[in-house]
Amino acid sequence: MTAPMTAVVGESLPPEVLDLLNSADGTAFEQALDVMVRQREQHLFRALGVLARDLHGAVCRLGGDLANEGVPESMTDARNYLAEVLDMSSQAAHRSLDFVDRMRPEAEALSSNARTVLGNGGNESDPVAVLARQAQVFANACAEGLNDMVLVQSWQDLAGQRVKKVVGFIESVESSLLELVRLTGALAGREAPVEVAKVSSQDEVDRLLSEFGF
Amino acid sequence: MKILVVDDFSTMRRIVRNLLVELGFSNPLIQEADDGNAAMTMLKTNPFDMVVTDWNMPNMTGIELLQAIRAEPKLKGMPVLMVTAENNREQIIAAAQAGVNGYIVKPFTAVTLKEKLDKIFERLAASGASA
Repeated sequence: MTAPMTAVVGESLPPEVLDLLNSADGTAFEQALDVMVRQREQHLFRALGVLARDLHGAVCRLGGDLANEGVPESMTDARNYLAEVLDMSSQAAHRSLDFVDRMRPEAEALSSNARTVLGNGGNESDPVAVLARQAQVFANACAEGLNDMVLVQSWQDLAGQRVKKVVGFIESVESSLLELVRLTGALAGREAPVEVAKVSSQDEVDRLLSEFGF
Repeated sequence: MKILVVDDFSTMRRIVRNLLVELGFSNPLIQEADDGNAAMTMLKTNPFDMVVTDWNMPNMTGIELLQAIRAEPKLKGMPVLMVTAENNREQIIAAAQAGVNGYIVKPFTAVTLKEKLDKIFERLAASGASA
């Protein structure tokens, strides 16, 4: 029975451990197993320690970059930019709707005046009647175009809803980042000062970051 | 007919109002609310004949507003038309189960709005006649 075990695990084990594994001495076998497991654990803990330090360093740099360099400078700026996009697009859409409100009565008046002129008679070749007919066609086309223009403004609502989703996404990235800061701070031996789940306002975000030296 | 238009985007409220006026509804009788909570307060204090609401709104969403309307004895028969960008199956089913009278997916045209409104009023007239 020992031969197949040697064939399976033998290649990665030192010869002395192999000997113990193959020996009939149960106590020595258990001790050898213990040593092997402990060695593996130590490797794992060392690797985890290195990983935590690297992670903490990376988060420190990221926090510094967010505060000092990148464009947009911070998550707050990114959120503000998107809020500005929402605001500007809303203003633009309202201006278009204002224009429709101004022009619609004009188109209606032109159409109505043309109808009155045409109602007064005059033959087909009368330049006044020709112009009135053209004016009426134009006014009706304008009214139709203005209605389309109103509907087209719904782009602002549809685009705005997507922008709001992006704002939500940025908030989730921000809270994940803060969770990372808290976690790496705790791994580096510092007490986590606040529950990240409770961080909601910008002040709290800034305070938490500053407590970790960001 | 008094209509309450509920949407958190002022642009969309204006567009819906514009379309309703184009279809012949009286402009001064159309009122606006920017979320479900505001709408519920207005519905409890003023008589309305119909609600046109968005789905995605802060504080109280359109589906929550619909459920609140159906749960309120004085308002439960109020016709509610949902006008929303949400077009997935589950949401449409949820709205139907909550008792929505009509469901329009944005962007939409005046023709679509007219069709849905006509259908709502036809059904109401039929149920009123049979009652």
